[in-house]
Amino acid sequence: MIYSDIALDAVFLAVVLDLFLLKSRMMTRGIFWLTYFLILPFQLLTNWWLTSNEIVMYADSEIIGQRLAGAPIEDLLFGFSMILLTLSAWEFFKDRFNKKLG
Amino acid sequence: MENLHYAYVLIFIAICAVGVNFGFKLQFARKLKLFLLADSLILVIYLIWDFWAVSKGSWFFDSNQILGIMLLGKLPIEEVLFFIIVPLMTVLTYLALTKLTGWGKAKEEIK
Repeated sequence: MIYSDIALDAVFLAVVLDLFLLKSRMMTRGIFWLTYFLILPFQLLTNWWLTSNEIVMYADSEIIGQRLAGAPIEDLLFGFSMILLTLSAWEFFKDRFNKKLG
Repeated sequence: MENLHYAYVLIFIAICAVGVNFGFKLQFARKLKLFLLADSLILVIYLIWDFWAVSKGSWFFDSNQILGIMLLGKLPIEEVLFFIIVPLMTVLTYLALTKLTGWGKAKEEIK
């Protein structure tokens, strides 16, 4: 299992958690996509910094080789999964433990 | 200063976070417990993934451009902080946009 596989699995896990386990259903809300597409250019900016300076480097055998803003294309999947899971978990815990917040 | 290269990313995001928190009057400090609860899920999943990937050499770090504090001898402390500051900025962005657009309020009212 290379980075490409795990990144796809992470998206799958995040989607399943969001829709069926945490049931936050962030993916069905416009505000989620608005948030995601606002963060995306910042992800590309930090990716560019980290990879163009060779702060983080990737083994060629672990990625398919397509790059965006210096970083492996797989990073888009990783970033998406983390943003989705973060907001899904936020809504999940907000509903259960602190109804006053929001 | 070279060893701060990765840390610059974290500092940049932290500055954005402070700016958005105060700019949109989000009072995030009051929601810190809730955030830590939500982020604990992120930390567990992504640190395990990160640790495993670094162990098998999927990706690696330039030791000259990180602080040099390593978790379990393998993961730069920056990685751990990354999985805290990025979700924090994600939630702040979400809260700010919710406030700005009013989207999502209807859902709350229906409940």
